[in-house]
Amino acid sequence: MPGSLTPLSVLGPLAEDERQRIRQQFEAGGSAQDTLRSLCELADRTAQKIFGEVLRVNNAELQGLTLVALGGYGRRLLFPYSDLDILFLFGSEKAEAEFRPLIADFSRTLWDLGFRVSSAGRTLDECKRIEEDNAEFHLALLDRRFLGGDEELFERLTKKILVGPEKQARPFMLAELTKLTKERHARYGNTIYHLEPNVKDAPGGLRDYQAAAWLRQIANGQKDGWKNSAGEEELAANAVDFLSAIRCFLHYSNGRNDNTLTYELQTAAAERSLGVADGAARDAKRSPEEWMRLYFRQARILNRLLLRYIEQKPAAQPTFRERFFSAARGARGDVGKGKSFAVRDGLLEVLDEPALSDRAVTFALFTEAARTGIPLSREAERAIFYILKHPELPQKNTQVNWSMLREILAADYPSMALRPMQRLSLLMDVLLEFKAIDSLVVRDFYHRYTVDEHSLRTIEHLQELADPPDERAAHFKQLWKTVDRRDLLILALLLHDVGKGMAVENHVTGSLEALQSAAARLRLSVYETDEVHFLIEHHLDMSATVQRRDIFDPGTVSVFADAVATQERLQRLCLMTYADIHAVNPEALTPWKAEMLWQLFVATSNHFSRTLDRDRLHASDEVPLLEQVSSQAGGANKAEVERFLEGFPRRYRAVHSAPEIAAHFQLYQKLGAEPVQTELKARHHSFSLTLLTADRPALFATISGVLAGWGMNIVKADAFANAAGVVLDTFQFVDLHHTLELNPSEIARFQKSLADTVNGKAPLEPQLKGRESASKAKPPKVAVETRIGYDDTSSAHSTLLEIMVQDRPGLLYDVGSALARLGCNIDVALIDTEGQKAIDVFYLTERGKKLSQQKQELLQEVLQSTLS
Amino acid sequence: MQRQALGGADTFMMKIEAIIQPSRFESVKDALREIGIEGMTVTEVRGHGRQKGHTEVYRGREYTVDLLPKLKLEMVLPDPLVQRAVDTILKTAKTGKIGDGKIFLSRVEEAIRIRNEERGENAL
Repeated sequence: MPGSLTPLSVLGPLAEDERQRIRQQFEAGGSAQDTLRSLCELADRTAQKIFGEVLRVNNAELQGLTLVALGGYGRRLLFPYSDLDILFLFGSEKAEAEFRPLIADFSRTLWDLGFRVSSAGRTLDECKRIEEDNAEFHLALLDRRFLGGDEELFERLTKKILVGPEKQARPFMLAELTKLTKERHARYGNTIYHLEPNVKDAPGGLRDYQAAAWLRQIANGQKDGWKNSAGEEELAANAVDFLSAIRCFLHYSNGRNDNTLTYELQTAAAERSLGVADGAARDAKRSPEEWMRLYFRQARILNRLLLRYIEQKPAAQPTFRERFFSAARGARGDVGKGKSFAVRDGLLEVLDEPALSDRAVTFALFTEAARTGIPLSREAERAIFYILKHPELPQKNTQVNWSMLREILAADYPSMALRPMQRLSLLMDVLLEFKAIDSLVVRDFYHRYTVDEHSLRTIEHLQELADPPDERAAHFKQLWKTVDRRDLLILALLLHDVGKGMAVENHVTGSLEALQSAAARLRLSVYETDEVHFLIEHHLDMSATVQRRDIFDPGTVSVFADAVATQERLQRLCLMTYADIHAVNPEALTPWKAEMLWQLFVATSNHFSRTLDRDRLHASDEVPLLEQVSSQAGGANKAEVERFLEGFPRRYRAVHSAPEIAAHFQLYQKLGAEPVQTELKARHHSFSLTLLTADRPALFATISGVLAGWGMNIVKADAFANAAGVVLDTFQFVDLHHTLELNPSEIARFQKSLADTVNGKAPLEPQLKGRESASKAKPPKVAVETRIGYDDTSSAHSTLLEIMVQDRPGLLYDVGSALARLGCNIDVALIDTEGQKAIDVFYLTERGKKLSQQKQELLQEVLQSTLS
Repeated sequence: MQRQALGGADTFMMKIEAIIQPSRFESVKDALREIGIEGMTVTEVRGHGRQKGHTEVYRGREYTVDLLPKLKLEMVLPDPLVQRAVDTILKTAKTGKIGDGKIFLSRVEEAIRIRNEERGENAL
């Protein structure tokens, strides 16, 4: 027997002593890179010794077998509890058969010495084939390193066998690595901002850096846009050092290959300033939350580096055809401010980089992304980042105003702007208050993400409602589509948890303080501030009501409705609650919870529409309002203001601000001189008409008729009356033929026509005739079934008539006329439209009483006939 | 009847399954905690007994909830604690209306703590 293996009783303690020495050096402040290299050297020495001994003991020749280190081991970076990835390379199948028993001895001995061997065996011929279902193996092979055995065999592998196949397989490898990376990122929710991140595999972890390195290596210099600047390389190297230190620490703390940075280990890491370079920074005391901000900063660098390659199509060399036609193509593709950016290959690219020094251009780019859903390219982000990091460059329009931000927040895809703004730290420039929650870890077992990530996810969950991903979202899609003032809802979501980063006991209080500061700086109106204030203050109410109250109890609904006050607020609050729960973690919004939330919304919405005439203003109780209106109306007599307000439904107060009510009061004051007062305002894509006059028969029908005659399609309306019988109707309508838009002089004529018709000075019928045939021209895109229903119980005074029908111009006139013909008085009307569906609620009386059964049946017949 | 648990102990373990109104959960949980019962499993469930479903009409569409949302609480306790726990749940979960829910009791053969493999009542 030609000798025997060195006993484990000798080798074991030697290896263990060396491991302990390396560990002590790391824990005394040694660098992660030194630790990884030392562990690799230990593994190399041990593997080579064992391999040599196994060959000797078995009288075997070196020829035909090579040990090849792969993956991290191949890169000479071995973490304390990582596997040794080893390829046993055989010269031939005969060699493989001969060496199998030796390999078993070798592997077993290494295991006994505490090295976890993860091995593969291939013959040289087998290495010529690219295994399409084993991309991970080929990726690991990219880091191959000779470890021991037949060196000539290794040279043949590297310089001859693999050259052709690796070159041919480049597109496949690039595609596979991209796919694997996207799958890995998706497993972690496509975010770096986990409260307990996996420092190897999560986005922003060490795997991201390695994937980027592999992508560059596979591309082999053929991708022009993939070179990093020296500064970027340095940042990436520092980030790798930081994360490597964490990973070593995790391995030593856990005693196994566990890469999750748990809360407990975050505390321990912060105490020792893990990963922080020597000097004052290292000595500074940090809370775990502050230390985690360092972590996220580094993770962002690695993640951004990788995403540049993953998300962007590499710039291909243009063909002749493309070059010749590029000018025409560029002109077609150009959008945006002075052609500073355009869409190329599905990404927003910057055409004129110096133009970005004008912040208005940068924001126009973000607005375009928010409007269209087209993402910014990584190069565009790099260009913006460069400008931000060089304040010595001349910059203008650096103050962002509310109207710029509002456009982004009101768009269909706000997160397409907000995400890059956050990555570039621009979001914190615009909303200083958001800085309080930048990368903020707040420890609880329910939330999965940092506070800022949670806030941005709420917005993404709302965006998704345009095309709901699952059954939980189905009900809420329509709410998102029709919600009024989305910008205020999105602003509320950005600020609602800011208080968690402030030194306050209750985070809602902190968030409200932050709102006041943001509102003052951005110059939000009083109404806007109040609406956002309401949402932040009550953002937990709906969830609490669902969990702690019986939502099928009318009493619960009534209390909740009182707190919410208006349908508009209810809609925004419901969406906010949906998004807030959904963004806690992927499982938080169970179908059960979504259903409960929806049921509460429906019950409350119905409560609003069915109790309009129950809750009326007692003006003498509204002292602050009286004072505000009186003051806003130039010091008007309070008694007169009281008479004006007395008896209006509470909804009137809830949906109009004090300045608006003051403006209505001023119209009311002029009724003596002119018995029909109107105010017309242009809004975004529509007009808003307010009309005040004394009540009279068929008033609602007359106004609706005039609007129909002018080709206006009414989308919303409220009709209220006060105790003195003064009617205040507000109509929101779309100018179908752009009459008023294109002919501003027609506005005065329109208002006069309205006043004259209502006053009886001009007949209505001739106005209607001209438009009748035009309104019947187009067939509906979506057929809506007509439903007519009565509710005699919700109101003590009136019969509620609810109509759901296909919307069309002139519809409200038809309904109003039918009601008038049958002697039905409209106490209150609530008119709304949802796509092609008109939803009308009327509180009707006949001679001061509810409608009789007979009248209801007759009215039903007439309406069915009119509406069919 | 002689009741004897595995291992020859004199008492045995019972599982309490309580289906309750979601709005009563906080009160039930707090009351159980006051008598020293903290461990329980809570599941969101739907169901109905005699309580009818609920229908709301919103914008012309009916939203009917046939299976009403409830919460199911499960806990395993040593027998001496069971009656007290049941009484507490009965007291705090009751509203007096149909739909208050039900409590089920069943015997548990064995309980094992995964962390340290303790068995029987020691595992509770």
